[in-house]
Amino acid sequence: MIPRFTHVLQLMKNVERNLFHMFGYHPPKELALAYVHERKPVATPKKFSIKDIVGDGFLLAVPKFRRTIERKLKRKFGTPEYVWKMLVPKNHIKVCQNCGHHHEKRRLCENCYTKIKKETEEIQAQIKEKLGINPIEHDVVVLYKGETLPDQPKEFWKGKRIIEMKKERPQWFSKNLLEKTTQQPSKSTDVKPTDLA
Amino acid sequence: MNQADVSKLVSKLRVKVLPKHRNLPGPKGPEGRIDKLRKTVTGLIKFERIELNYNRADEARQYAERLISEAIRHGDCHKPTMDTADFWLLEKELVHKLFKVLVPRYETSNLSYTRMYNAPRLQYGRTIDKVVLELRGNPFPDLLNNKSNNKLLIQNVLLDAAKNDYRQTKIAEMAKNIGKDIGTKQNTDSKLNEAPEKPNIS
Repeated sequence: MIPRFTHVLQLMKNVERNLFHMFGYHPPKELALAYVHERKPVATPKKFSIKDIVGDGFLLAVPKFRRTIERKLKRKFGTPEYVWKMLVPKNHIKVCQNCGHHHEKRRLCENCYTKIKKETEEIQAQIKEKLGINPIEHDVVVLYKGETLPDQPKEFWKGKRIIEMKKERPQWFSKNLLEKTTQQPSKSTDVKPTDLA
Repeated sequence: MNQADVSKLVSKLRVKVLPKHRNLPGPKGPEGRIDKLRKTVTGLIKFERIELNYNRADEARQYAERLISEAIRHGDCHKPTMDTADFWLLEKELVHKLFKVLVPRYETSNLSYTRMYNAPRLQYGRTIDKVVLELRGNPFPDLLNNKSNNKLLIQNVLLDAAKNDYRQTKIAEMAKNIGKDIGTKQNTDSKLNEAPEKPNIS
């Protein structure tokens, strides 16, 4: 009840004031701040220095701007067309026909290749040693320990450079796959797990 | 028009040649590129099997093929071919090898003179693609070493034996049934003969 009453009173006051205002009777001046102008000496602005803030401490580099979500995802996962950082299954893995190891399609099998590479380098070294400084005028025939020249007419072997390796022919390099193995059987009895991980 | 047949001027290579050469960038520029290729061609002719980066191998392969084909085409009495061989082979004893070993080796073949295989890639880490470049007919163990067609492979030997066994049993069965077959056939024949002929309706 009281607020309504005061509201009506306020309205009445306003109407009264406006009426007086219309006919030139101004309301009495209300309280106002008295301002006295005083001339102050102008302080020269001090130059800003980061040392005032830091003092004895040091500052770390911090990001200046927010990284957008797109940029964040790009940094995290890369782009499929360029650098794709996700783990993607390889669908081009094949099983080697000879050794059973896995290798990439249209690429040599790593297991077979390392074996062949080693043998090749040995043969190359042997050829180099045998040749010395003589001119290269004849083709090379490689013979392993305990091997004889295959059956060919004598003219075929005329002028061939015969390179003898000081070991038996590796089984995988053999044409006859039924011949005895050149690998020594192992004598160890303890069983070890192989090719872990 | 009076135009020379290009195929008679330049021997056609048996490997794929790209429309534009690779630059093989280096500080020496085009000259350095040729130097690199000369080294590679020399190494290929010398060692017969080398492993190197794909781009350089593919580029050098074309030059090696061209060199061998020119040598086969013109022989060792042809001055320009000899000059080419002299330019491309840095070790001069290889010029002898080219004309005395490689020319007789490839004279009759209708395949390319070199082979290129993709070398295995490292499982981890980014690497440049490597290849194995080799001359055909080299004395080293075969890189593909595909024995599946070899008659002496143990699996093939066993399969052959199994096939032979099967064939033998079949033959024995057939031999047993020959007499019976003839007997039954004769019976059927006689039955057919005994059957009355159908009257002609028309």
